Amino acid sequence: MAKYTEEDLKKELETQEYEYGFYTDIESDTIAPGLNEDTVRLISKKKNEPAWLTEWRLDALEIWKKMKLPTWAHVNFKEPDYQAISYYSSPTKGAKYNSIDEVDPELLDTFKKLGISLEEQKRLAGVAVDIVMDSTSVATTFRKTLAEKGIIFCPISEAIQEHPDLVRKYLGTVVPKTDNFEAALNSAVFSDGSFCYIPKGVRCPMELSTYFRINQGGTGQFERTLLIADQDSYVSYLEGCTAPSRNENQFHAAVVELIALEGAEIKYSTVQNWYPGDKEGNGGVLNLVTKRGICEKNAKISWTQVETGSAVTWKYPSCILKGDNSVGEFYSIAVTNNHQQADTGTKMTHLGKNTRSTIISKGISAGYSQNSYRGEVSIGRNADNARNFTQCDSLLMGNNCGAHTFPYVELKNPTAQLEHEATTSKIGEDQIFYCNQRGIDEEKAIALIVNGFGKEVLKKLPMEFAIEAQKLLEISLEGSVG
Amino acid sequence: MDLKEKLISSYHQTQKDRPKDAFHALREKAISYFEEKGFPNKKEETWRYTSLRPILKEDYQLFPKNENTLTQQDIAPYLTKGLDSYLLVYVDGHFVENLSQPIKTKTFTATSFSKALQEKEDKARIEKYFDQIAPKEDRDRFRSLNTAFTQEGTFIHVERNAVVDKPIQLLYFSTGKEDALLLQPRNLVVVENNAQVKIIERHQSLNENATLTNAVTEIIAAEHTLVDYYKIQNDKYTSSLIDNTFVDQHGNDSAVFVHTFSFGGKLTRNNLRASQNAEHLNTTFKGVTILEGNQHVDHNTFVHHLQPNNESHQDYKGMFDDRSHGVFDGYILVDRIAQKTDGYQKSDNILMSDRAIAHAKPQLEIYADDVLCSHGCTIGQMDKEALFYLQSRGVPKKEAKALMMYAFCTSVLSSVTIPELKAQIDGYISSKLGVKMDFDSELID
Amino acid sequence: MLKIKNLHASVEGNEILKGIDLEINPGEKHAIMGPNGGGKSTLANVITGNDAYEVTEGEIIFEGENILELDPEERAQKGIFLSFQYPVEIPGVSVMNFMRTAINAIRKSKGEEDISGKELMALLKKNSALLGIDLKFLQRYLNEGFSGGEKKRNEIFQMAMLDPKLSILDETDSGLDIDALRIVADGVNKLHRSDNSALVITHYQRLLNYIVPDFVHVLVDGKIVKTGDKNLAIKLEDKGYDWLKLQEA
Repeated sequence: MAKYTEEDLKKELETQEYEYGFYTDIESDTIAPGLNEDTVRLISKKKNEPAWLTEWRLDALEIWKKMKLPTWAHVNFKEPDYQAISYYSSPTKGAKYNSIDEVDPELLDTFKKLGISLEEQKRLAGVAVDIVMDSTSVATTFRKTLAEKGIIFCPISEAIQEHPDLVRKYLGTVVPKTDNFEAALNSAVFSDGSFCYIPKGVRCPMELSTYFRINQGGTGQFERTLLIADQDSYVSYLEGCTAPSRNENQFHAAVVELIALEGAEIKYSTVQNWYPGDKEGNGGVLNLVTKRGICEKNAKISWTQVETGSAVTWKYPSCILKGDNSVGEFYSIAVTNNHQQADTGTKMTHLGKNTRSTIISKGISAGYSQNSYRGEVSIGRNADNARNFTQCDSLLMGNNCGAHTFPYVELKNPTAQLEHEATTSKIGEDQIFYCNQRGIDEEKAIALIVNGFGKEVLKKLPMEFAIEAQKLLEISLEGSVG
Repeated sequence: MDLKEKLISSYHQTQKDRPKDAFHALREKAISYFEEKGFPNKKEETWRYTSLRPILKEDYQLFPKNENTLTQQDIAPYLTKGLDSYLLVYVDGHFVENLSQPIKTKTFTATSFSKALQEKEDKARIEKYFDQIAPKEDRDRFRSLNTAFTQEGTFIHVERNAVVDKPIQLLYFSTGKEDALLLQPRNLVVVENNAQVKIIERHQSLNENATLTNAVTEIIAAEHTLVDYYKIQNDKYTSSLIDNTFVDQHGNDSAVFVHTFSFGGKLTRNNLRASQNAEHLNTTFKGVTILEGNQHVDHNTFVHHLQPNNESHQDYKGMFDDRSHGVFDGYILVDRIAQKTDGYQKSDNILMSDRAIAHAKPQLEIYADDVLCSHGCTIGQMDKEALFYLQSRGVPKKEAKALMMYAFCTSVLSSVTIPELKAQIDGYISSKLGVKMDFDSELID
Repeated sequence: MLKIKNLHASVEGNEILKGIDLEINPGEKHAIMGPNGGGKSTLANVITGNDAYEVTEGEIIFEGENILELDPEERAQKGIFLSFQYPVEIPGVSVMNFMRTAINAIRKSKGEEDISGKELMALLKKNSALLGIDLKFLQRYLNEGFSGGEKKRNEIFQMAMLDPKLSILDETDSGLDIDALRIVADGVNKLHRSDNSALVITHYQRLLNYIVPDFVHVLVDGKIVKTGDKNLAIKLEDKGYDWLKLQEA
């Protein structure tokens, strides 16, 4: 047998087909492309929204019009033509379901291909799933069980109808309309997403999970997720993303807002596997996302992400550590291959006393990809005894890719302590030989080493997700021996 | 009229009087570049922590008169004590020969541009090397401005196999009778194969008027060279400095060290740019920064690894008191071809007051896979237990603190190879920290 | 079991092995001794197929098959094991996970099913007891932060787990104190059967007090200059390698 070299591996990586690249053929209600005041009014009307929200969206549109797509990220792509995108697409069947049986069988089939068939999910102990396809939330399981505890977990469009006070109180408080270009756009046109509220003192008994999928061609997906953990509550939330293979870029600009009130804890995990484009770099999802959480006193927010998909990823799940003794965490693995580009990291803003943050970022670049860590740690005037530890490691595979680190540190309090470490290296030939000598072939050896490299992050994921994430890492970096 | 407009119009006015020499085209290109780009502002990534507004609002005199009245005694306090050196002294932008000891031997030259241009060989060298280092990044507006305006500075040339026997001190004074003065000196250092040189550079104002110095130094190092360059920044709190240093290492086995000691000045921006254009190179940038009051120092470094098998090291220590603001913005760029790069970047900072600010941005951009690059950054406070330990041995708190801060800087100070200079720096550190101490007694005579 | 014929090998163009002949039969223990730089470690790396070493001439026959064209993992799958002189660290990969991966890879090469969790556990328990290893140790990341002694013990533990036909122990005694050495040697001796063989590479004779060889070969400057029994090792310890060189001359 010929020797399996890193070269072979690279070739295989390039030919690795996207596993989730199928298109679900279901009827949908898609509005004409274009973005103006009328579009926004139409979306709002279709959703039967209250007047305050329509005005809020229109305000966001005005703000957005005055903004420009920022250029500081280490990514290169053609800015979408915002007038060519359809801002609303919804499966016509099944906008409302009373039971799983009413769901379009095609759709169920889609979920099966995604490996998350609802039946199976139901059997799996304790995962409640909300699925957002294109722009509309199509299924939420376990709502009754959750409702008994007073937990609200539903599409945000429903929350707007049924819990308008909660939505109005918190929407846009963590990521304001003015925050950035993508957030302003999202605020104007978001069509659905998940809403979650955990009442005081309640520990959510199961993992809450949302699956996002972009299906229709030429559509953008602009979900809005709002998660409120009331005092002393706890929730673990999972988010998975896929999209079919298409030649054109699909545009995804989501906003996620987390609110952890006093003593609350939110664990937010993402496995992002949007279509990355083909091996020449055509198509793929432009994933420009704003995710941010705010921690009140003694609260904790922990972000964990495994990013293997998208042609362009631009996202910085962040924590505002407002309350004293609050804690922010960010654990990330970002894998890029072929022509993927990722610029991802976090922002930890220490405002309260005794606030703590930990950042562990692992970047793996292969093919012709560019993988950047960008993070900011800022410690404000009043953040006495704040602590931060940051570690970002990069692993390079092959000589056509890039791994970059752009950390920003700002300190305004003399009692704070901060430590930042970063390394960049490649997989050692001696490590591979050691594995070979134990009978493990090169491909498996690389998978083993890569998984070990990301271990600190993988072990932060809930069990079911960790297995899926590990599989994803192998798919995106390994392929099967041909 | 703002400063930019003033600069551009006075450039065009004075061009008439300047000869259409070999540098004319460079000047024209430079001024049009500056005209297009203007001064940087905080919206730009490499300037996000430094605002130039407070120093650009002054109505600077651009072409001070040559009316030196300084004597040997006046300049003595600014020389490195006990150091036998070659000395080049400039006052308000003009070379002062009677205070200087320029040198021209068969193997090396250290003199002013104006004198060097009178020598045929040196003139040819200046024409060959002046303003030829081209860093990849677009970060050279201040260089362009300097190129357009500069009229004087230092030319150092070290011939093949020569070792300059004494350090060369460059002293730039401002005494301007004007309210505000803008100086734009230039240094060109050309080191040929297997040659070595040590240089100390200092900019010093002798009055309390606003002074802005926009200095450019170009270092061109050939094969197997050693360049040891020290910058002393201990100016008045009314003076500001934009110091731009470009290093081009184009021969194998060259080592270039730049140490920057920043204690004085109102606003200081150090732009250090190195291009590694050969193999087995070492590029080392180090610095100690101690600030108080409203001082602001921004170290902006950029090391471009263009070839394989090279190393670069950056090590900066900063201590910030009162409302001072320290910035370290470092960048290592490793090209695809630059395999086996060993790049290292470190920025350690201590805040001494609750109004001081430190920013650190150690960045890596890497396109080669077989590299070992790392950076580290710490911001913290003094180890209270260690402080207590010293106090319990009878060392007063202030001295104990000073001792610990000195220890904090050891990794930078230890690579200073001129003992007299090290003693001088130690002296500045102790006076900056308000103590009277010999940190390293064996070096003090 | 192993037959080496006129083996020449070089590293970066420098010839290190200059014609080695060696035959090891099932049930035999061989020791290779020699001064540093004589080619001992090179021999181990060439047998196991490290491609940093180039074989320029000769043959290595393992169980009747010339293995020179095989990849390192194929040789390992056939039952050749190397206890490394400097075991490498693989962060994030636990000893247990590594062992499961290796065992399954070897099983797969023989067309066998993956090992069951129960079987694996039993094997881990048995062999960690053999080497005096705490089970917690198996959760640690491979060689990361291990002391010198722990690394060597871990190598022999892996040998026990993989049950090779031919074990090559490269300077296994370095970094071990006498007690640890005894445990490791004990392990090696207990694993020894009439159908497997060992090749012990060592600079010092001490290890051979515990792992008693049937044959001792002295490798100097890329050649085996003398072969004898265990007494040769004692003589070497006494007189040093110069004695042999003198004798040669």
